[in-house]
Amino acid sequence: MITAVRKPMEEIIACVEPYDRILLVGCNECVSVCSAGGRKEVALLASALHMHFMKQGKTMDIREITLERQCDPEYVEELVTSVDGSDAILSMACGCGVQTIAARYREKPVFPAVNTTFMGASERQGVWSERCQGCGDCVLGITGGICPIARCSKRLMNGPCGGSTKGKCEIDANVDCAWQLIWDRLKALGLERRIEDIMEAKDWRTSRDGGPRKIIREDLAS
Amino acid sequence: MNTRETDKQSVLVIGGGVGGIRAALDLAESRRDVVLIDKSYSIGGLMTRLDRTFPTNNCDLCTISPHLSESGRQLRLDLKPMTVVEQVEGQAGDFRVTIRTLPRYIDVEKCTACGECAEKFPDWIRFTPGLDPRAPTCMRYPQATPYAFSVDADKVTDFDALQKACKVGAIITDDKEKTETLSVASIILSTGAELFDPAVLDNFGGGQFPNVVTGLEYERLMSASGPTLGQLARPSDNKRPARVAWIQCVGSRGINRQDVPYCSSVCCMYALKEAIVTKERFAEDIEASIFYMDMRTCGKDYELYLNRAVNEYGVNLVRSRPHSVVEDPETGNLVITYATDDDERHKTEVFDMVVLSTGFRIPASTRELAGRLGIDLNEHGYAQTSGFSPVATSRPGIYVCGVSESPKDIPETMIQASAAAAMAGTQLHLEQDTGAEEEDFPPEIDVSGQDPRVGVFVCDCGPNIGDVITVSALVEEVRSFPGVAYAEAVGYGCSKESMDKMESLIREHGLNRVVIGGCSPRTHETKFQDMMRCCGLNKYLVEIVNIRDQDTWVHTDRPADATRKAVKMLEMGVHAVARAHPLMEHSLPMNQNVLVVGGGVTGMNAALILSDQGFRVYLVEREARLGGIARNIRATLEGDDVGRYITELAEKVTADQRIQVLTQSIIVDHKGMPGRFTTGIQTGPRMHYMQIEHGVSILATGALANRPGQYLLGEDDRVMTQLDMDAKIADDPESVRSMEQAVMIQCVGSREPGNPNCSRICCQSAIKNALRMKNLNPDMQIYVLYRDMRTYGFQEDYYREARKQGVKFIRYEPERRPEVRADKDDLAVCVYDEVLGRSLEISADALVLSTGLIADDETTEDLSVMFHLPRSDDGYFLEDHVKLRPTDMSVRGFFVAGTAHAPKSIRESITQAQAAAGRAQTLLAKQWINLGASVAKVEGDKCAACLICVRVCPYNVPYINAEGYSEIDPARCHGCGTCVADCPARAIQLMQYEDDQILAKLDGLFERMN
Amino acid sequence: MTDSFEPEIVAFCCHYCAYTAADMAGSKRISYPPNVKIIRVPCTGKVDAIHIMKALEKGADGVYVAGCLEGDCHFKTGNIRAAHRVRRVQALLEEIGVEPERVEMITMSAGMGERFAKTARDFTEKIRQLGPSPVKTAARDFRRRAVS
Repeated sequence: MITAVRKPMEEIIACVEPYDRILLVGCNECVSVCSAGGRKEVALLASALHMHFMKQGKTMDIREITLERQCDPEYVEELVTSVDGSDAILSMACGCGVQTIAARYREKPVFPAVNTTFMGASERQGVWSERCQGCGDCVLGITGGICPIARCSKRLMNGPCGGSTKGKCEIDANVDCAWQLIWDRLKALGLERRIEDIMEAKDWRTSRDGGPRKIIREDLAS
Repeated sequence: MNTRETDKQSVLVIGGGVGGIRAALDLAESRRDVVLIDKSYSIGGLMTRLDRTFPTNNCDLCTISPHLSESGRQLRLDLKPMTVVEQVEGQAGDFRVTIRTLPRYIDVEKCTACGECAEKFPDWIRFTPGLDPRAPTCMRYPQATPYAFSVDADKVTDFDALQKACKVGAIITDDKEKTETLSVASIILSTGAELFDPAVLDNFGGGQFPNVVTGLEYERLMSASGPTLGQLARPSDNKRPARVAWIQCVGSRGINRQDVPYCSSVCCMYALKEAIVTKERFAEDIEASIFYMDMRTCGKDYELYLNRAVNEYGVNLVRSRPHSVVEDPETGNLVITYATDDDERHKTEVFDMVVLSTGFRIPASTRELAGRLGIDLNEHGYAQTSGFSPVATSRPGIYVCGVSESPKDIPETMIQASAAAAMAGTQLHLEQDTGAEEEDFPPEIDVSGQDPRVGVFVCDCGPNIGDVITVSALVEEVRSFPGVAYAEAVGYGCSKESMDKMESLIREHGLNRVVIGGCSPRTHETKFQDMMRCCGLNKYLVEIVNIRDQDTWVHTDRPADATRKAVKMLEMGVHAVARAHPLMEHSLPMNQNVLVVGGGVTGMNAALILSDQGFRVYLVEREARLGGIARNIRATLEGDDVGRYITELAEKVTADQRIQVLTQSIIVDHKGMPGRFTTGIQTGPRMHYMQIEHGVSILATGALANRPGQYLLGEDDRVMTQLDMDAKIADDPESVRSMEQAVMIQCVGSREPGNPNCSRICCQSAIKNALRMKNLNPDMQIYVLYRDMRTYGFQEDYYREARKQGVKFIRYEPERRPEVRADKDDLAVCVYDEVLGRSLEISADALVLSTGLIADDETTEDLSVMFHLPRSDDGYFLEDHVKLRPTDMSVRGFFVAGTAHAPKSIRESITQAQAAAGRAQTLLAKQWINLGASVAKVEGDKCAACLICVRVCPYNVPYINAEGYSEIDPARCHGCGTCVADCPARAIQLMQYEDDQILAKLDGLFERMN
Repeated sequence: MTDSFEPEIVAFCCHYCAYTAADMAGSKRISYPPNVKIIRVPCTGKVDAIHIMKALEKGADGVYVAGCLEGDCHFKTGNIRAAHRVRRVQALLEEIGVEPERVEMITMSAGMGERFAKTARDFTEKIRQLGPSPVKTAARDFRRRAVS
């Protein structure tokens, strides 16, 4: 899932201040699940903005809508009737959602209300951790199901480094050393010898190094 | 159904403590008439005086309130405070009991509990709901404690003035003592006990030094509503103590003049609780020391509580019975003189406060009552019962529960109360639910699509509201509110006259929503909901606005402000009720069959009681024959013949027409809702599959005899468990007789990592076998190596007897366990004796290990997954509430009994089996099972399946269904609304408290203000 | 105008404790300021951050959530959830320049009529000291300007 956190109010306020009518758009996918931009957060942000502008003696007209998914044009189309009545759009979706709206409604300024953070997993209620960086060439099959790119601070492909102490990373004692985790896991699988296999330099062209990426499924795209 | 006489007979419950209340409510819920009498003017008993209760450290009394409709309660439960038994004639099924009620001088029917009288004449009026107002007000049905006002006639000097003070004319100046004769089928004695007054002892300073208090007095000092308002302060100088000591067994387990020989069973736990709460709530650095002889934490999970007290809270345990407590007159501090095992010299230590852990005593009044009831008491003054009939007294038809039977804590009292209710109910015909009681209402009018026509009725409650605000002016203003179709003042709104008037006004003006401005919805909502139903309106279309308790009573001196507030409160009510919509109370037809899982002592007892009441029972047993683990036991500590009992029980069950016994059977699948379950079973040697439809389920799957591979068990024939020895004594007495020396080791495989809890039954098993071995060969030397001897209650008598007969008890520490050495000729146990300060080597003809019980982990895991039931960490089934609902499980319709719940004796298992049968009848007595309306509901298309509701629900109810959205089973939802408030998609609403209703209240409050 | 300032206060009260404590204050005739208006909820676990925000937005000068003592929640943990939400609302208010002290979580038992009244008094006094909610005053001043 894509995780996000709400931007500081100050920043959001600065974006929408010049306008009188705001369309505040939530998304019922990832950002709902990580409690950053679903219906609840939309309502809270709307209320906070109302209060802020009331303090300034200004009545801000805020319309709240939460779409099923902001990164699909069909869902974004649902905004068509509400867009006209607003001066600007404030999106609580991840960057993909913001851009889908921006692409569809070119005449309206679109502002993000959240910072898209990472692709992560839920550890438990209220705790999310980064798990994937979308490198385009997955190595989890040989690293015991633990990603050295997302979870090692140095993205080392052959670890651990000298900074690994008692299973923790030198950057922060609360961060697990990914290579310690990989070692523990391989050992549990009886595959500890694999740690000695040297991984060759990773070809980062499948990742961002090859420029913006695109997936085209010929069978579906027609 | 049985064809017993159906004349209106009832059950008499004597004593309104928690046990009596539980028994009475169980009976009323299972459609039997009950008369509950108490000599006090209010009910609640001892528990209402406790600050918090172990092991949850919560108050929780509200949890006792059952799902009992007001009409049902009024119909079935007759509460008579200030009442005592005079005489009992007749026999079981047909007693005539003469009772005498002292004058209360207040007509409880008329009394509105306004408190005017107490305000004007505080000395004449008694209104102390227990000492702690918290508990009674927690009760969901305040009517159950009939407003607790009474007049102390001895103090009244001017009855006329008192009568004038009461505006509703509830004072009865010429109230007389009343005597009446009841016709009852059975009687339950639940008068409880007193706590020992330590002032009669001369060595501990109780009643002599101000800073020496009893455990109960200490509870009061900690309690927020106690004399120090929750500021723990010692009596002499109101300073917070820095060092507090508890002395255990004060007046108990003794042989001196003022002592009783038995153990009071609860003091170890309450001392630990008080020590923990002291540190937790007041200051971590308060030093808490407990002086004790044996730490008897043998209840379910109590050992964990003990470990937490020591390891997490740093409570200091000192194994010693102190010699004396002396006060330093200068400081008020207290000097405790004591000696410990490892040091022969006396030590002294200074404390700021000393708490004496005093135990239970049977008061003289109970002895007299027993005489009038014609029941036998045991040598300690407690009601005599027999081994396998734990709640039946010596006189048929009279039952006992709670501390009147033996010292015990609240969960055990609750179990016994439900058991007594079940047994008392067997004397009465179970009246079938004809639905007549509830269904006396016209069909509901469909108001959907209608615009709200709100009617507002404002009650003046006599002077309570009317003297502070001008109700007519208030009504005038209310009439102008949008949506209000009609508004009127109604005098005493809850009087019959006013209710009738409102009913006709509702009809006449076609009102479809109603706001009542009056007193608290806590006390009167049900009444007005019934009024709505009489008008053909849904009961959730009325809103009670509490302008008495929360406005006029608290702003008496500011009438203008009170009026303004009343307007706003009514406006909030009008706004909210306009958005209310009819709610369906979920109800399901009740299947009347019972599934009992487990055919041991517990399962068979439960099956027999329910079959006797006319219910069809399916008894599922995994083994080929009935009996369970008790088949391996020959005798109890009290000497009862277990073998014969089991055989007879199994014969009775097998012969019973209404019980279908399914041996060699296992449960394989399960579905349904409370009241309508379907369970799949594979049965017989060929594992034939069948399905059973049932309304309730009782889990009595038992536990396993533990056989850990310690101390050469299983390797050397001379090493055996207590169960093995029990059988050997009965089957091969000669070999036992020839033994010269035997050693027993306690806590083998219990109270240690892996199985941290106490097995509860091993100390009594060891004493039992030691005494029987001594009986076979009085010269035999028996050594019991123990950590704490946990012979709670009257078992202490047998422990004392064993010591008298020369059984030697040597204590060992878990860090220094005994060691066993064996060769062909010799078996020897080496143990370090703290008192002698050296190791002893004892050669033994037999080494008997007290291995106790462990949970049948595999079975409970399988069943808990299938039935969606929680388990404790050590694999026993987890009850719904460890204190107050020890037999009910978190899924309605499921009950647990016997050793599947926790290790316990046969007698305790039978008690819980009876309790489970009783609790089951509270559901089986109904044709329909009402699940209430205030439940959370998911709007599937809004749900993001984020799992937050699944994770935050305190009862694990929501789940993501096959369609991929959250679903909440209304039958299991408790209606707290936590999931609603945490849902990031705002996809959940709590019926009756929907978001738009709450926001509407805010609108009502602020709309006309800005 | 601040001389005659009477704060508007909303108290979300749990049925099992604070609401009962309010009734208890009533039957004991313990007076407290009429500024406090109670909204009954089955458990403070039901009190949504939005309810608190909306109360302030609509015109409350202060809001408190009154639940059971820690460990006493009738529904196990509702009061703890509520306390978390109150903290979250406080943080959000701080971000938009509204005093977080206007929102508070309070715990009590059903028998604490005295404490209910004291809490109502103390909280009202605190809000009185803080003055009217900046949200409300600005809106009112603005309206006044618009009218004149």
